[in-house]
Amino acid sequence: MNYKFVFHIIGFLLALTGLLMFSGIPFSIYYNDNDVIDILISGLITAFTGFLIWSFTHKNLDMEIGKRESYLIVTVGWFIVSLFGTLPFLISGYLPSFTDAFFETVSGFTTTGATIINDIEALPHGLMFWRSMTHWIGGMGIILLSIAILPLLGIGGMQLFQAEVAGPVKDKLHPRVQETAKRLWAIYVLFTLAETFLLMLGGMSLFDALCHSFGTLATGGFSTKNQSIAFYNSPYIEYIIIIFMFIAGTNFSLHYQVLKGYILNYFKDSEFKFYSVLIIILVLFTSIYLTLNNNINFETSFRQSAFSYISILSSTGFTTVDYQQWGPFFTEIFLILLLIGACAGSTSGGVKIVRYEILLKNSLLELKRLIHPNAIIPVRQNGKSIQEEIIAKISGFVLLYLIIFGLGSICLNILGLDSTSAMGAAAACLANIGPGLNSTGPVSNYSSVPDLGKWILSFIMILGRLEIFSILILFSPSFWKR
Amino acid sequence: MRIIVAGLGDVGHQLAKKLSNEKNDIIAIDIDENKLSRLLDSADILTLHGSSTSIKTLQKAQVDGADLLVSVTSSEEVNIMTCIIGKKLGAKKTIARIANEEYLEPDNQEYFAKIGIDFMIYPEDLAAKEIVNLINRTAATDIVEFQKGKISVIGLRLDKNAPIIQKSISEVSKLNPSTDFRVVAIYRAFRTIIPKGNDKFLPNDQVFVISKSEAIEQVLKLAGKKDIKFNNIMILGGGKIGRKVASLISNKMNVKIIDSNQHKAEELAESLPQTLVIQGDGRDIDLLAQEGIIDVDAYIAVTEDAETNIISCLLAKHLGVKKTIALVDKVEYVPLTQTIGLDSLINKKLIAANNISRYIKRGELLSYASLEGIDAEVLEFKAHFGSDITKDLIKDLDFPKGAIVGGIVRGDESIIATGNTQIKPGDRVVVICLPDKVSEVEKLFKQL
Repeated sequence: MNYKFVFHIIGFLLALTGLLMFSGIPFSIYYNDNDVIDILISGLITAFTGFLIWSFTHKNLDMEIGKRESYLIVTVGWFIVSLFGTLPFLISGYLPSFTDAFFETVSGFTTTGATIINDIEALPHGLMFWRSMTHWIGGMGIILLSIAILPLLGIGGMQLFQAEVAGPVKDKLHPRVQETAKRLWAIYVLFTLAETFLLMLGGMSLFDALCHSFGTLATGGFSTKNQSIAFYNSPYIEYIIIIFMFIAGTNFSLHYQVLKGYILNYFKDSEFKFYSVLIIILVLFTSIYLTLNNNINFETSFRQSAFSYISILSSTGFTTVDYQQWGPFFTEIFLILLLIGACAGSTSGGVKIVRYEILLKNSLLELKRLIHPNAIIPVRQNGKSIQEEIIAKISGFVLLYLIIFGLGSICLNILGLDSTSAMGAAAACLANIGPGLNSTGPVSNYSSVPDLGKWILSFIMILGRLEIFSILILFSPSFWKR
Repeated sequence: MRIIVAGLGDVGHQLAKKLSNEKNDIIAIDIDENKLSRLLDSADILTLHGSSTSIKTLQKAQVDGADLLVSVTSSEEVNIMTCIIGKKLGAKKTIARIANEEYLEPDNQEYFAKIGIDFMIYPEDLAAKEIVNLINRTAATDIVEFQKGKISVIGLRLDKNAPIIQKSISEVSKLNPSTDFRVVAIYRAFRTIIPKGNDKFLPNDQVFVISKSEAIEQVLKLAGKKDIKFNNIMILGGGKIGRKVASLISNKMNVKIIDSNQHKAEELAESLPQTLVIQGDGRDIDLLAQEGIIDVDAYIAVTEDAETNIISCLLAKHLGVKKTIALVDKVEYVPLTQTIGLDSLINKKLIAANNISRYIKRGELLSYASLEGIDAEVLEFKAHFGSDITKDLIKDLDFPKGAIVGGIVRGDESIIATGNTQIKPGDRVVVICLPDKVSEVEKLFKQL
């Protein structure tokens, strides 16, 4: 194991995180808040620690790394960055409990958006900006950002890319992984700026528009307002956010192809079609149901259902309305949606539609295989047949995912949450969505969860963000055997 | 540069990896997904599953505007077809691997250029030439010549009793104050070292020395080697390589060629009148003894089977043959030569990959070579007026670690470089460096 290189990169990640902490300072100064010094200190501690580790491991560095090192870098990197990410909350004193600060930071980096802060608006602007910034960094991934910046990674970069980017198959946009990372980040930045601009047109301040764009594109869900998006009471803002949540839930390599001029590629991608059709069916059904049963006009019910479904499916977790009040069976619908997620290669969390698509197709083909036992019947996705080993990997992933969901629900239930809340919280954290059901649902937050529960959920969030394998592999004996 | 590599056999695999390490954008095409995923684990490239003769696949690989299309599948027909289609689809240059000597004849080149093949590579031919080179320079394991031999880089394997063993480079140079040669690389325990003054010579080291032509004798003496004139050569395996080697040397030396296939042996006998063709198994000691292996100077094993070649070379070595050369096409075996005591090893796939990258580099570099089996490149640059390399003494330049200036050819004079040498515009400079330093070195030579 090349520990030196592992530390070297982790040092770089910390230094980068420290520098990004400073980004909230201009807002603090502008709004005349009292947290400038606290953020400055947090940033300096983080950046300096990172720089020290980086420079101590700089000499005689062996650049060769394998799969083990890359998994170690990604997992340990994410934990350590989350650890240092708590500093602004702790030093400023707004979240004095380390458990709370860690939960909030992990929730930020993993783009879960589950919060334990009851009065968000009381936070100073610098701190609030850092909270949203954690989303933005975590959304496209801090490792991916490092790959884009660090020229030296080469093939090691590819290994890291594999370990951090979500989805069963990782598309490269360019022969070089560094160029791929640059392009992905560029698209991400482009969309973020576009949304910020459009939100400002709707009357948001630059600060709020940036924070909400970070929350949307990263599919995070931290808002700067206690009532989340409902605060603005503006259909325009809601539609803008609906559109960008949808974009953030779409495979970014599709966006790349479309930006390059192949506009029709959206409609050639079967996962995208599944994603859109699922949303259209849900939204149409619900808006008609709401119009007929709950006496809400069609536009409002259309907007509310579109917002809620896209927010949950894309794993963003912004809320405008308490969807559990819509009707008797909506709790079940949302519990199921919490386990689905959006497209692979997006910033969203969860199992992702492509995995279900492939497993579902495979299960249905099993019927055909029963009748023709000697036939070779491959599972097709986007016109290509999927290799057996990928199907096996996906099955393994989904099974582990469900086991973790089940174990998490049981633990939370034992700790005192009612069973719907427990299931909702476990599913929402594992899929990095945020709002669960009942006491952790759309109109509540996670402040009532006991401390041990917060630690369990923090771990579940990171498991979900790194898609389980990257973390669990560190617990397997074969990883540490030579 | 954007380069498409079709076919990921050993040649394609090595080539894609090498070119990717040299900061080119590589798209690799193969019909075998396992080969693609194997390469993805070790190189930063894009892979594409499909047949390289398919227009759709080539378009997906963005062949239009690609700087180079290299087709190196095991099938000559596929390679030629790929290049023809690729060129029509917009590739700027194409290279095809072929298996027919006729195509290389100068008269035919024009015809192939017309149909869209810019450069052809015939690995067996290259391997045969390399073997002949090694027979002529008997003490060396490798030879790369520059400027018509004014300067050459030679590789030598140190025996236990060589006079310089356990001495450091600076001690040796104190004893031999000549400035006509310099140690530029040492290959030891699977690692390539660009040595400094305090590095010591150990037994079994493979040492690479840059030397003026007149100093080669002195270098050989220090290493405890002697160049001997070879007379009796025995070749095992009458395939394309064996046949070519035999035809190149049989007018100067006594050549015996052994092949186990009766039919092939008869054919060889017909086409090589000056060569004695023997039908039999090369691993049969009685047969070798009968054919006078004791008197053989060099034993060359070039059958298709790498294991047979290695074993029979070890056998020949055991029987006292001075020099053995084995064709080993399994790249994994290349680093083993030294450990098991083979003299020289030829890998036609590595040679082919090197040859192609030499062709690619040809624009910026005067010439270019890789030392077989070790991780070092030998580059020859021209120093331009105003390029960074000419601005200071070598020791004061910010010259990258892992690279070393070996020699300089200035007009008719050749100079072996030291820290106090100043490179002047117009000089031809030989640099030895580790592969990942190539681009840094190139920067220093960049023309303003």
